[in-house]
Amino acid sequence: MSLDHAATVLVVDDEPQIVRALRINLSARGYKVITAHDGTAALKAVAETKPDVVVLDLGLPDMDGTEVIGGLRGWTTVPIIVLSARGDSADKVEALDAGADDYVTKPFGMDELLARLRAAVRRSAVSPVDGAEAIVDTGSFTIDLAAKKVRREGKEVHLTKTEWGVLELLVRNRGRLVAQKQLLHDVWGPTYETESHYLRVYLAQLRRKLEPEPSRPRHLLTEPGMGYRFEI
Amino acid sequence: MEPEEPAKPRRGELRIYLGAAPGVGKTFAMLGEARRRLDRGTDVVLGLVETHGRKKTAELVAGIETVPRRHVEHRGHAFDEMDLDAILARKPEVAVIDELAHTNVPGSKHEKRWQDVHDLLDAGIDVLSTVNVQHLQSLNDVVERITGVAQQETVPDEVVRKAEQLELVDITPEALRRRLAHGNVYPAERIDAALGNYFRPGNLTALRELALLWVADQVDVALQRYRAEQSITETWEARERVVVSITGGPESETLIRRGSRIAARAGAELLVLHILRGDGLSGLGPMAVGKYRKLTEEVGATFHTVVGDDVPTALLDFARGVNATQLVIGTSRRSRVARLFDEGIGAAVVRESGAIDVHIVTHEQAGGRLRARLAGSPLTPSRQVLGWILALVLPSLATLIGVFLRDDLDFSTDVIGYVLATVIVALVGGLGPALLAAILGAGLLNFFFTPPLYTLTVHAPRNVVTLIAMVVVAVLVALVVDTAARRATQAARARTEAALLASYARTVLTHSAPLERLLEKVRENFGLTSVTLLEKRDAKWQRVAVAGHDPCADPDEADVDIAVTADVHLALRGRALPAADRRVLEAVAGQALMALRQQRMAAATAKAERKAETTELRTALLSAVGHDLRTPLTSIKASIGSLRAPDLFLSAEDTGELLEAIELSADRLAGLIDNLLDSSRLATGAVRPHLRPVGYDEVVAHALSNVDDSESVVVAVDERLPSVLADPGLLERVVANVIDNALRHGANTAGEPVSARASTHSEYVELRIVDHGRGLRKGTADSAFAPFQRLGGDRDTTPGVGLGLSVAKGFTEAMGGSIRAEDTPGGGLTVVISLPAYRGQDPEKDLLAFDETFENKERVR
Repeated sequence: MSLDHAATVLVVDDEPQIVRALRINLSARGYKVITAHDGTAALKAVAETKPDVVVLDLGLPDMDGTEVIGGLRGWTTVPIIVLSARGDSADKVEALDAGADDYVTKPFGMDELLARLRAAVRRSAVSPVDGAEAIVDTGSFTIDLAAKKVRREGKEVHLTKTEWGVLELLVRNRGRLVAQKQLLHDVWGPTYETESHYLRVYLAQLRRKLEPEPSRPRHLLTEPGMGYRFEI
Repeated sequence: MEPEEPAKPRRGELRIYLGAAPGVGKTFAMLGEARRRLDRGTDVVLGLVETHGRKKTAELVAGIETVPRRHVEHRGHAFDEMDLDAILARKPEVAVIDELAHTNVPGSKHEKRWQDVHDLLDAGIDVLSTVNVQHLQSLNDVVERITGVAQQETVPDEVVRKAEQLELVDITPEALRRRLAHGNVYPAERIDAALGNYFRPGNLTALRELALLWVADQVDVALQRYRAEQSITETWEARERVVVSITGGPESETLIRRGSRIAARAGAELLVLHILRGDGLSGLGPMAVGKYRKLTEEVGATFHTVVGDDVPTALLDFARGVNATQLVIGTSRRSRVARLFDEGIGAAVVRESGAIDVHIVTHEQAGGRLRARLAGSPLTPSRQVLGWILALVLPSLATLIGVFLRDDLDFSTDVIGYVLATVIVALVGGLGPALLAAILGAGLLNFFFTPPLYTLTVHAPRNVVTLIAMVVVAVLVALVVDTAARRATQAARARTEAALLASYARTVLTHSAPLERLLEKVRENFGLTSVTLLEKRDAKWQRVAVAGHDPCADPDEADVDIAVTADVHLALRGRALPAADRRVLEAVAGQALMALRQQRMAAATAKAERKAETTELRTALLSAVGHDLRTPLTSIKASIGSLRAPDLFLSAEDTGELLEAIELSADRLAGLIDNLLDSSRLATGAVRPHLRPVGYDEVVAHALSNVDDSESVVVAVDERLPSVLADPGLLERVVANVIDNALRHGANTAGEPVSARASTHSEYVELRIVDHGRGLRKGTADSAFAPFQRLGGDRDTTPGVGLGLSVAKGFTEAMGGSIRAEDTPGGGLTVVISLPAYRGQDPEKDLLAFDETFENKERVR
């Protein structure tokens, strides 16, 4: 957790109990926590304190969550994690389209939020592949980003060029949601942004090659309708 | 004479058992026949019979000689095939060979089994065989459309058609499904999603219909052959026959084309009938007849002409004569009002048609405007014209006769001649012509017959009296005729009015939207552009109901305005109506008001009922929630109370346990609240699905990660199935709820796991969640999805308010899909979620083509 030390998190929520629980928990884990109770205060706090990551509730008293995202995205690329109500895909899609980086569905487990936070902080701490990061071990399989090789139980797994492209993009963004559109755009090209069906096929193919139990993936996760996420 | 050939060996006879689907009992029936022949002492062998592990079938096979199968190796796989040569060598009288459509392993003598069978027949061996309707070549695409499964193995229709005997093995879909459920068709472990789907009642019914129709067609062909051979000419028709009646007007073309469509759909024969009126009034020019005759031939129909004065009778006589089952006639070309006074040909045909169905087809020529009547007279224009002509001709005729027979007739006879002429004219043409005839007659009588002759001077007073009397007679008779005609018209009108009023009253009483329908009827009957019911509310006119276009916004804009009450007006637009029509309209206006009140009352009742239902729902909700919300809440409070008690020392283990209890209870509360929220969103119509393509594989994986104890669920969802169009969030809730329900209610002693399987069916992709628990009680399939329903009844103590499946149903339907409960074969519940397949994929952009080394792994079932 050395990376996360002294990272500043802005928590925006109008429910004091949630803010309190997050403040205590995050502070105990070494984050510096700032809080805001509405959208106006949030915009002001970002401008003044330049946090490393923003945790934003979509239901705020004074303005819509997506408006806050829009206000921030005008001038800053700070990672934004959205807290959204369950079952409302429209909300999530809207927030992601407005420029949010990731989301956590309420009620959320603390572990889940922490994982998203870590991924977001890692992103903001600009980290191209250096020696230490080039090898990613999931326990089930190992990915060597520099050598472009995947090993499972000591044996090298053969991946096609496209499979590798998909896997690499997900691994480089580990822990973070990679939107379908982004995957299609980066791996196949800009004219294929809507062909999400094939993406599904490739991910399934990768899972069969790498996951211990492909129908219950642990590392190559799907957020249905949104995108994909690689978790160690 | 050719030299006599050596006696040709007898060719074997083929008998085929045709079935609609696997499991109907074809093989069973075939083996029964084989046994009967064997008992009669015939030499029967089994060439190849598949028992599919069915016990009853295996019992029949036992004891009949079986020709051993041939073992073939192909690409490292071993196959058992029928040994054609061995059967030929054995040369039995009868060979029993299952599955005519089977494709042989490559390298066999013939590609298909039916070709093997031909060899046997050629060798003089009789063959008993079976085939399913989906294997018939001509039905291949139809079957694929019905079942969504492409058939690889097909038999040319010709082969089956040429069989000496074709027997249909038929059972009802329900019986077949029962056989399936009892495991009589396939062992339970072989029944997967795809198979279960194939045996849907809808599928089976459609397949059965196909089989029945196909066989019926063969029977028809056989019947025709028989009739041709036996020279039978009288009609015995089992098939549909459609007669189109045309009058020769421009609408005839529409009628013929429409009739041809009706006939095509019913697979019927089409006959076009042209009725020539005896009086020649509505005859067609030879040109027009030629045109319609040509069109008739083009659509593959036959053209017939009959002569008859009474069109309905002539038409029906012809139709019955040819055993027609359906009749197509056009709506009348006469004006709407003209039809009020005479029911017309259409109505008469419908009334008299008996067993024949009548289609009345509308066309562009229908319903012209009422032609202007000659003012003032109740008599028809043609009658009046005739009257005027007679008024000139008859007195002249009387004069001619009188002049020629002057010596034989006296004056009084002449007078009678003129009076007779006047009376006839009055009877035919009414007052006007009668007066003309009387005055003309009086003039002629005076000029030719009263002294002084050939002058218009009258001397004798008696002749003056005669002349006056003639005029009086003319007037009197004409008046009587006029009155009679007027009365007849009035009676007809009254009859029509009564019929109209009765039909309006019926509309008000029986139609679901009586007001709109009533206004529309009025608009039609009186040929108006619009009919509007206006009501004054807060000193402003508002439209309550409208028929037609361009409605009035205010009674002042109407061509005819009828006030029902001071505040409700019926405003008609289109044309001014005569006073007589107003009387009917006033009655209609009254009925419109009644319909309006009735409609409002019904709305109020419905509202009250909804309210009562809501109250009922709320009560159920409160009692259910009261228990289910409070329990976890209590456990949370108790645990926290223990943790925070200052006087209590807890071991780390105890603390952990309490904390776990809190977390579990909180999860339970969260789940419950989600379902409650979703239910109320559904109830208030606040669910707005955000549809996008998504795969079942992804949704199932994600849903499983959110369901407790889901490790045991067997997932067999192929990611290569088409995406469905759904809201990913909603679909996940649906799947999670159904799986949760299956896990809670679907436990059985044998420990068979809950499974999730997906399959595609033409336009839909289905996900089946299968459990092997107690299942549904018979007839409760529909109520499984009602809220607060616990399938096990009151004694069920499993937690949950019973909202899960109701939410699943609500969400699925909101996304344009459907969800249903079925029995799992062998016991248990299967919930089938069916959503429309996503078809927006650009076939040009096949991303798989990017990767040449993309491996096509074996499909996961």
